[in-house]
Amino acid sequence: MALIELKKVNKTYALGSQEVHAVVDLDLMVEEGEFSVLAGPSGSGKTTVLNLVGCLDQPTGGSLRIADRDVGTSTVKALSDFRLNNIGFIFQSYNLIPVLTAAENAEFTLMLQGRERSERRKRVLDIFAELGLEGLANRRPNDLSGGQQQRVAIARALATEPAVILADEPTANLDSKTSEDLLDLMRDLNTEKKVTFLFSSHDPMVIGYGRRVIELKDGHLESDRWKTS
Amino acid sequence: MDLFRLAWKNLWRSRRRTLITLAAIGLSVMLVQAFHNLAFGTYARMIDSGVRAGSGHIAIYHEGYVESRDETLSFEPQGLVETVRDLPKVEEALPRLYLPGLAQSSRESRGIMLTGVHPEAERRVNPFIKDLPEDEMVRDLEGRDAVIGQRLLDELKIRQGGKFVITVQSRSGELVSELFRVRGVVETGIKDIDRSLVMVGLDRAAAMNGRPGEISELAVILDEPEADRSVHPLLEKLTADRPHLDVLSWEKAMPNLANAIKLDYASQKVIFAIIVLIVTIGVVNTLLMSVMERFHEFGVILALGASPGKLRRMVLAEALLLGLVAMVFGCVLGTLGTWYLAEVGIDLRTFISEDLEFGGVVFEPVLKAGWDVVWMVQIALYVVFLSVLASLYPAVKAGRIVPAEAMRHF
Repeated sequence: MALIELKKVNKTYALGSQEVHAVVDLDLMVEEGEFSVLAGPSGSGKTTVLNLVGCLDQPTGGSLRIADRDVGTSTVKALSDFRLNNIGFIFQSYNLIPVLTAAENAEFTLMLQGRERSERRKRVLDIFAELGLEGLANRRPNDLSGGQQQRVAIARALATEPAVILADEPTANLDSKTSEDLLDLMRDLNTEKKVTFLFSSHDPMVIGYGRRVIELKDGHLESDRWKTS
Repeated sequence: MDLFRLAWKNLWRSRRRTLITLAAIGLSVMLVQAFHNLAFGTYARMIDSGVRAGSGHIAIYHEGYVESRDETLSFEPQGLVETVRDLPKVEEALPRLYLPGLAQSSRESRGIMLTGVHPEAERRVNPFIKDLPEDEMVRDLEGRDAVIGQRLLDELKIRQGGKFVITVQSRSGELVSELFRVRGVVETGIKDIDRSLVMVGLDRAAAMNGRPGEISELAVILDEPEADRSVHPLLEKLTADRPHLDVLSWEKAMPNLANAIKLDYASQKVIFAIIVLIVTIGVVNTLLMSVMERFHEFGVILALGASPGKLRRMVLAEALLLGLVAMVFGCVLGTLGTWYLAEVGIDLRTFISEDLEFGGVVFEPVLKAGWDVVWMVQIALYVVFLSVLASLYPAVKAGRIVPAEAMRHF
């Protein structure tokens, strides 16, 4: 049973009087433990696919199952709960909450789950230690570099031990060195802790990190290849 | 608690805006509390003055007397005065007889209201004569001493110590004339009273009326106004076997004063309502701005797994905290303002050159606040309630955010 299953998934948006077919008849399966990248130029449908898999949007047609659950027809509340407990997000522009400290940001999803404060703090500090964020727990996002902020975002995504972490252009706002460090970290998490990653990018350097490259063009699946080495 | 911790941090995200909103709400609370208390204190003084010179906090009359002021509607108290005086929370019971009549001097004559009183009891309580020196007060119940109003004295063209005649119609229809001497003169500030007041001993007035012992009014003065809740039923019980007697609160016995205060309160409440409305609009605006500028962030929070309900509760929590802080701030200011107005007051003597009447009572030119704590608490709670109410629309708006769309906003 695949972790993520898309069968003939379509997503169409209305843009004024016109229809935009963002995703067309997509068949895709992602297994647990994968480190896969959605590749393609702007407008290819990468973000739309991530939004669908992340339950931030619902398909216009087809079926979508994640962790053996049909999420295509769920209610808004059910999708919120599902996201909270099964999906981690890493955004292009980090999206940390500016009034919270780094630790509080990383704890946020645990807080939404209703975990006790002490339990949350311990978990987050353990993750911070793994990600090289020791000593930054009480800093505000404004006081962190881009790379540090993205690591805090990774910590936030990891905190709830989700089934899959989705990352939409996670290195787009970072310099190349920081990007490489971040991708190395994500790959290590995948290798050592079997965290499933599905991320998107149009950057060849980033695409090169993926063990599986799923190429999209104009909403269609263009190619789907695994790296041999 | 987490929700409130986050709400507290979000409240201070825009420190200046929050401080301005808090100042607006706080100052409004202060205005409403302090000026209500000023009116409360002013009315309390006026009522106190009015009831002591007038009907008392509670009064007993013959049925129909208040509506008609018919002097034939007098009654025999039959021990009621002493019984009422001994009731708990009763400061004094004042028997009075009112007879319309004519005052004549050698040069002039004027229509007057002859008021028969119990001099000692009356002097203890009635503000019109409280400050009258003892040697200027009516000495006994039967004598020919009279205390009259200053204007009447002037109009009769007599002096203190001078003589004049009072003529009334007795119950049998005869005209009865008696000679009196002006023992004391009062200036109440109320033109009608100063022009018509003639205060004499109760028994003398009753004798002129031809009905010894009968009175028009038993004015009951209480230790404190709130005691009417307990004393009124006792008086009803005492007069239960005398159905021709009415036990009336001061509002019913002195409708002019009661209505004047009600009208003033009503117009005040309109002003307060306007202030509160303006504050509410301000709070709605602040919260709405706060929600709209966090559109993207709310999209992220929803994306991370917060339900729309949780997001709405976050917005409501912020409003609740805003209301609570504003309430505390406003109550501190309101308390300080009331304290100042209670101790120092507002002196209108610069603007008012003479005593004014209000509802038949002298309007004191130095306004001083009283402490209406119940009202202050009500306003405080109302502010919190309003803040939460004002946040409903922004909260609903926040809950309707679609995460995917919101995250495209910056």
